Amino acid sequence: MQYVLGIDVGSSFAKAAVVRNGILLSYSTNPSGGSYADAARKVSDEAIEKAAIARTDIAATIATGYGAGTIDFAARTIADISCHAAGIRHFFPSVRTVIDIGGQFCRVIKLDAEGRPVNFVQNEKCAGGSGKFLQVIARILHLKVEDIGALSLLSEKPVQFTTGCAVFAESEAVSRIAEGASPADILAGVHNAMSAKITNLTVRLGLVPDCAVTGGGAKDTGLVHTLETELGSMVLVPDEPWITGALGAALLGGVV
Amino acid sequence: MKCTHYFAGVDIGSTMTKVAIVGEGKEFSLIGPTGPEHRKLANRVMEQALQEAGIQFNCITYIVATGYGRINVPFADKQVTEITCHAKGISSALPSARTIVDIGGQDSKGIRIENGKVIDFVMNDKCAAGTGRFLEIIADALGVPLDKLGDVSMTADKPAVIGNMCTVFAEQEVISQLAAGEPVANLVAGIHHAIAGRVFGLVNKLKIKPDVAVTGGGAKNAGLVKALETRFGCPVLVPVEPLMTGALGAALIGQELYEKAVRDGKEPARKPRELGEATFFS
Repeated sequence: MQYVLGIDVGSSFAKAAVVRNGILLSYSTNPSGGSYADAARKVSDEAIEKAAIARTDIAATIATGYGAGTIDFAARTIADISCHAAGIRHFFPSVRTVIDIGGQFCRVIKLDAEGRPVNFVQNEKCAGGSGKFLQVIARILHLKVEDIGALSLLSEKPVQFTTGCAVFAESEAVSRIAEGASPADILAGVHNAMSAKITNLTVRLGLVPDCAVTGGGAKDTGLVHTLETELGSMVLVPDEPWITGALGAALLGGVV
Repeated sequence: MKCTHYFAGVDIGSTMTKVAIVGEGKEFSLIGPTGPEHRKLANRVMEQALQEAGIQFNCITYIVATGYGRINVPFADKQVTEITCHAKGISSALPSARTIVDIGGQDSKGIRIENGKVIDFVMNDKCAAGTGRFLEIIADALGVPLDKLGDVSMTADKPAVIGNMCTVFAEQEVISQLAAGEPVANLVAGIHHAIAGRVFGLVNKLKIKPDVAVTGGGAKNAGLVKALETRFGCPVLVPVEPLMTGALGAALIGQELYEKAVRDGKEPARKPRELGEATFFS
């Protein structure tokens, strides 16, 4: 009975996954909120409950992500790049490039043929390529972030933003709306701006197929679509892209 | 009534519209908001400026428009870039300046001048960090009026360290530091240091030569000016009306162009003196 719990506390969301003998049993996600430690406890309780086991059944708890250091009940922490690589290997063994679009950063990881991370680049300095950009725009359009993807696909004439800066794009979007641009066209424009930034980052590392997109950004179908166009390559998206890191943490925790 | 020679400069910035009128040894200036819906209304600010100066519109001999909205000024006789106008304006206001640091509403730039001529410049209008927009957003998050930031920062005992450059992330950081008990004054001072660092990084791509002058809305913030002095490692000069630098330069360039043309015996082409709205946007 080797149950392993993986917890990934990101800047915006906490994710937990329960794995047994290399198989994903259950997972849960929750906003990180004010306290990373509280969020981690809550999300892992939920995942354990979904797996229909008791906390005492967990043989090992592995933490990863931005807030990993705050989780006192974890046996150890593993670097998020390693966890991400292990998680994507579980979903898609053919993947050599992972684009992880998180709440406050964007990261591209290059994997070797065995799925080991060999290099990565990330941008955590600018909100322009991160999920934060989507949140900023969703707020002024009075939309839920999860509704952005479907709506953006209705765009006929995407708004062309003059910069990739989320702050300037916000004021530009307000002006464009006043001039009659539709929310769909604004969103498609944001996707284009984000895709340009993310593609820049990816090209710096070199795009080796297959390519997968993970993180909250991967749940935005419109963003994934424009990213495919900008990259000139098809991308794979796991069924539950958010939990890639947590799953990887649990998988690695069971190995050692 | 005999018309005397006056020259006007109209500087349409992203946030503010500025009008300067010079001539007969006098200078008049007026500042009004640009605003998203007022972009085409340069005529209103001009009208108001004329009224306050007590000058009739047809007494304005030549009008130069500058700034990012300069093509939206249908009554301007000529358009000149803000870089050139800034250099001219500062050479008149502060003749010893050789490096200009302009902190505007949505951009920041560095301009190197020698003998009143631009020899190099750098500009950031792609990222809100280091621009007035950054200050606006943080002031709002801290509940401090924009024009009080300078005074508030002067009461700081130790500037807070703001690790984030991105405006969006810095806003979050400031809010969480505030929640953790950091005094507002320290946060404001910390933000001034962050902007000063960013602006220095930009302007330092030029070979900075003293004197350094600061213009634009950012120059009206004494706390930011102080932080810039620390970062640049030298005193910085601030014109009496830092916002007016570009408009003043535009008016002076107009005067020069006109006077030279007259000396050469050919009056420059001028637009009819009608104050209409712009009929197109850019």
